[in-house]
Amino acid sequence: MPRRKPGTLLPLETEILETALSLLRSGHSDFHGFGLAQTMREQSGSRSLTAHGTLYKALSRLEESGLLSSHWEDAAAVEGRPRRRLYELTSRGVQVAETAVAGKAAGRLPRLASEPA
Amino acid sequence: MTPERMAGLVARWVRFYTRDLPAPIARGRADEIDADLHDHIAHERAAGIGERRIALGIASRLVRGLAADAAWRGRHLKTGARKPLSRSVVRVALGVALILSLPLIGMLISDDVVWGPGDFVAAGVLLATIGVALELAARRAGNLALAIGIAALGIAAGLVGQADDTPGLVLLGILLFASACALGVRAAHRSR
Repeated sequence: MPRRKPGTLLPLETEILETALSLLRSGHSDFHGFGLAQTMREQSGSRSLTAHGTLYKALSRLEESGLLSSHWEDAAAVEGRPRRRLYELTSRGVQVAETAVAGKAAGRLPRLASEPA
Repeated sequence: MTPERMAGLVARWVRFYTRDLPAPIARGRADEIDADLHDHIAHERAAGIGERRIALGIASRLVRGLAADAAWRGRHLKTGARKPLSRSVVRVALGVALILSLPLIGMLISDDVVWGPGDFVAAGVLLATIGVALELAARRAGNLALAIGIAALGIAAGLVGQADDTPGLVLLGILLFASACALGVRAAHRSR
């Protein structure tokens, strides 16, 4: 597992933000864990889905960093399946995701704005 | 193995690594994984993927995420989760009772061991103090090496003090009490 430099995002966290941004731009303001893993698999062309522990730990970190927010689905809307936790990019998350996308070509590590991690 | 059985295995693992965490955090993680597993199975079945391959995919996600699960648990344990107090109390009480039963048995089978009620009370208070200090240190610092150090000191004290009951008890108490105090100071220092 890569060691985190202060104020930077791990590659998976950047990938999540970029995927969330692409979902937002295609009209999906929120997303759930499996949906995100599935979209990332499609976009990267990978054969396997991101592991449970890795995915939800990264989502948890991004939420604690204020880049994502989450809420649980209404029980009435789930129709016989377990409730999903829905995530969405915060305004700061959108900023960081846009910076990450722009900086990717330059090979720069995305940072969590100017605040210390 | 069917996907549902594999999902059950994942759910058991989630229950295991979320044990002793605050209920809302543990329940949130379990519900989130439960929803993920349900969506995973439904999506792959709809895509016509075989049962065995779905189960293997779930197992792969479980195994590849084990280290992250452990790290996530460690982070939440550090940020406020506490072991139930009742377990600590039971552990200390059992430890004290077990150690005090040794001289009691010694008195029953040998005339060389002579402990009065005062000796049992003094030893009980000392051992309980040490036990509480160790529990506090383990909760705040989690330092296994220090606990092992305490145990080694206890053994050394027992060996040195075996020639005579009361001096042995006093030496054991002083040594263990001093190490427990050192452990407490260290724990308090680390918690700042």
